[in-house]
Parts: sequence; C-alpha cells; structure tokens
Amino acid sequence: MTAEVFLFWFLAIVTVVSALGVLFMPNPIYSAFSLIMTMIGVSALFALLGAYFLAGVQVIVYAGAVLVLFVMVMMLFDLKSEIKAFTKGTLGGVFKIGSVAVLAGLILSAIMVTTQGVAIKFQGQADFGMQPTRLLGNKLFTQYVIIFEILGALLLVVAVGAVALSRSKGGTHARRID
Amino acid sequence: MGSDIFEVTVNALKLVTIFLVMVSLVPSLVWLERRGAAFIQDRLGPNRVGPLGLTQLAADAVKFIFKEEFVPAKAIKFMFYGAPVFALLPASLALCALPLGPIINIIPFEAFGQTWGPYIFSIQGYEASLGILFVLAASSLAVYPILMAGWGSGNKYSLFGALRGSSQIISYELAMGLAILGVILIFGTFNLNEMVTAQNGPLSFSAFDYSMTLSFLPNWGIFYQPIGAFLFLAAAFAESNRLPFDLPEGESELVAGFHTEYGGLKMNLFFIGEYGHMIVASALMVIFYFGGYLIPGVSPEQVTQFLSGFIDSQNMTAVLSGLIHLGAFSIKVFIFLWIFIHVRWSLPRFRYDQLMELGWKTMLPWALGNLILTAVIMAAIH
Repeated sequence: MTAEVFLFWFLAIVTVVSALGVLFMPNPIYSAFSLIMTMIGVSALFALLGAYFLAGVQVIVYAGAVLVLFVMVMMLFDLKSEIKAFTKGTLGGVFKIGSVAVLAGLILSAIMVTTQGVAIKFQGQADFGMQPTRLLGNKLFTQYVIIFEILGALLLVVAVGAVALSRSKGGTHARRID
Repeated sequence: MGSDIFEVTVNALKLVTIFLVMVSLVPSLVWLERRGAAFIQDRLGPNRVGPLGLTQLAADAVKFIFKEEFVPAKAIKFMFYGAPVFALLPASLALCALPLGPIINIIPFEAFGQTWGPYIFSIQGYEASLGILFVLAASSLAVYPILMAGWGSGNKYSLFGALRGSSQIISYELAMGLAILGVILIFGTFNLNEMVTAQNGPLSFSAFDYSMTLSFLPNWGIFYQPIGAFLFLAAAFAESNRLPFDLPEGESELVAGFHTEYGGLKMNLFFIGEYGHMIVASALMVIFYFGGYLIPGVSPEQVTQFLSGFIDSQNMTAVLSGLIHLGAFSIKVFIFLWIFIHVRWSLPRFRYDQLMELGWKTMLPWALGNLILTAVIMAAIH
C-alpha cells in the first residue's frame, strides 16, 4: 500500500465516520463538531487530489466561518423543545422517511454515474503556485460571470430577508410598538 | 519529504525544530512580558530566581507540570481534555508553513564514503503550495479550541468567554482577510517565498513610463500598503486575543473567560497557543510588510559573496547565509513581539460594543476601501 492509498483510506474512513456522527449524535452540538471534522476530512481529500485551492477554501469558508456560527447559535439556544417537536408526529415521520428516500436515491444515482462514467485522468503532479487559482478566477469572472453575480445577489437577498424577518412582528429583534 | 535518507532527515528535523522553537519561545516571552510590564509600570518584576530572574521560567514550568489534575463535575470530559491539545495545532501548523530564510542550494558533497546531493532546502517546515491561504485556513480553526473549552467546562463564565472570543475572532478575520487581499494584489502571488523575494532591493515605484527609485529605503510592502499594514496589525491583536482585545478573558467580568476551569499544564497549553498566534501574526506582518528575512540594503547574493571571501566551502557559505537571514527575520519578529507586549501594558480594554463597532463599522469599511483603491491603482498601472 503506497502512502497515497493509505492516506486516502484513512481520510475516507474519518470523513465517513464523522459524517455518520452528524446523524447519530444525540446532542446537536456534537453533531456540529462532527460536521466540522467532516469538512476538514473532505478538504484533506481535495488536497490529496491536488485541488489545493478548493481544499483551502473549504476549510476557510465552511470549517472556519459557517460552522462557527452554527456552533455559537446552538450554544445559545435551549434546543430541548425543538428536538421534541422534531421527533414527534406522523407528518414529521412521513417527511423524514421521504427525505431519507430522496437522499438515498441521490447517493445511489451518484454512485451509478461515477462508476459508469469515464475516469478523469490525473495529469501528473498538480500545478503548484498560482496557476490553478488564476484559471479558476478567469473562468469565474469571464465565462460564468453572470451566474457568479446572481449568486452574490441571492446571498444579499438572503441576508436582507433574515434581517427583515428578525425585525418583523414576533421576530427576535422586533421593533417595540408603544 | 525527500529522495534519500539525508534529505528526509533534514526535513523531519526542520519540522520538529520549528515546533520546539515555538514551544520553548513561550517561557522566554512570558519572562520578557513580566519584566517588560514591570519596567513599564516602574517595578522590578520577577528578579529573584537566578540571574535577572531568568530561571523563573524553569520554576514555572515545573510548577505547571506538578499541579493537581482537576476536572469540574459538570464538565464534558472529552471536550475538556481535547480543547487544550487542539489549541496548539493551528499556530504550529501555520508557523511551519512560513518561510524563515532564503532557499539553500547544496552542491554534491562526500560523506560516509558516499556522494550526497545536490539538494535544495528551504528554511521552513514545509512549503504549502497554497502559501497564504494555507496559513489562513490553519488559523481560522483557532476558534474551535476556545468554543470546546467554553462548552466543555460546564461553566457559564467559560461559555460567555468562549462566545465572546469566537465572535471576536470571526469579526476581525474579515478585516484581516481584506487587508491580506491587498497584499496579494500588490505581489500577485499566494506564495510567501515569492512575496519576500519581491521585496528585495531599493524602493522603486513605476507607473505610466515613469519610474522613481528611493535608494535609501528598502522595497518593503508597507510603502505600498500602509493602511493595510495598520489594519492587519490591529486585527492580529484581536485574532490572538491580546489586550486591548482580550474580552474573552475579561477578568473583571468573567473570572478568566474560557479557561476559568483550567489549571496546570492544560492552562499552559492554551498559553502556548496564544503566544504561538502572536508569533505567527508577527511573522506574517514581517513577511507581508517588512521584507521577510531580507536585510535592508543588502541582497542575499551580496551576503553570499561577502561570506565566500573567507570561507572556501560553497555549502558552508550557503548554510551560513541562510542562518544570517534567519537571524534577521528573528530580529524583526522580536520587534513586533515587543510591540505586542508594549501595547498590552499601554492600552485599556475595550468595552464589548466598542469592540464590535470597531470591527464592523470602522475596520471593515477601511479594509474594503483599501482593497478597492489598491485594485483600481493596480488596474490603472497595468
């Protein structure tokens, strides 16, 4: 077994185990910490494939920023009533089984596509330095610039919506009506 | 790691040495901090144990090791024990990726009845091809030990300290990232080594066929990014939880913040992590804005030429030149570490709302403005 194969299996096992931990941990805080481990594992797998820029961005954006907010919010909330509300009821059960079915279908089709598809050849040693990043930037800002900008606008809309919701009646930052 | 046993050994030794240097710098910094604080406050500080109080460090280390092992009743053990260990990781990962000296070219030589070489060694733990992104990614994980410690301690003060600490770190990460983007635009690379070599020689601006050379100044990043340098320094203080941004500890309100329940060696590990962040921040400051390992007014080639005047072996010259530049780098880093310490004993702590206002309403717009200005100027020049 070469070092690369060993690393792949090690990282794959860590990633999958921590991803399962996200599902099966009893406490949402532990789930969030497992998700962090999953993100770091995925990023390390990217690095193993030679996609260094993606690996770095994966850690900076997901592990470094998004999940910190998850963990902080969960530490501040009392989640017991939410857990109860989520685990009871037939309608909830139907939704849960439905979403599991959809997820399983997605995973199965992903496996089918990847096993039947054409393997991408790894072209030797990955390019070091700025070159891949430069190519990615060029693609993003020329070929895909409209989609890129629309996504930015979408995120802005989400942020404005969150502020509007929290300030409307019944929200956490509702204006007092005297 | 390397092609043969010599290269592998040297590379492994480099990694271990950099980590050990970071860990063993901490007691000396603590001594410097206590003595410096004392002199700033017109006291003497610890001066009883050994000459100048220097063996106080050894006494402290022994005390840390032999303190009672203590876990609070409501603590979550896994997190409580994991947090201090995790606290060491980000700083040491980041420090190993920083270039501390020029690249050393070793020509083939004979030893142990065999010819070795040629080798190329760089004075850094490992060269991450991502450069600055790798350092940012590693140090963005520094939030988690704080959160784990705060949650795992099962103590409200700890939790408040952890929440304050993490929100502060992610707020100031934005300003820091934008300041770094300005640097990336100027040098046009992520690679820290290339950034340093770009700062070689005298200061020279060139735009629209005009060029101006100021031979008495080095070509350092601070002359291109003065606002960015100041923002980066301020954000670095917040990132390493140092005064005036040490709200997570806030003794007057939170006992000791996220490490209220920690004592002995576990507390010490957090301490090493914090000082490690200080070292990484100072080193980054030097690499981005103050010419890295370069000696102002003297290029690496001139150093090598000067050395080869009285040393025959070409390999010895290369290694010595590397060590001289490593020394220059260390001096610069120590100047910034001293600034960190001096500021701690000069400025009072911010209030929490002032801290957030400074981060989001002052530093973020300035950093954005700096980035846009830099981008416009760079686009106009090229």
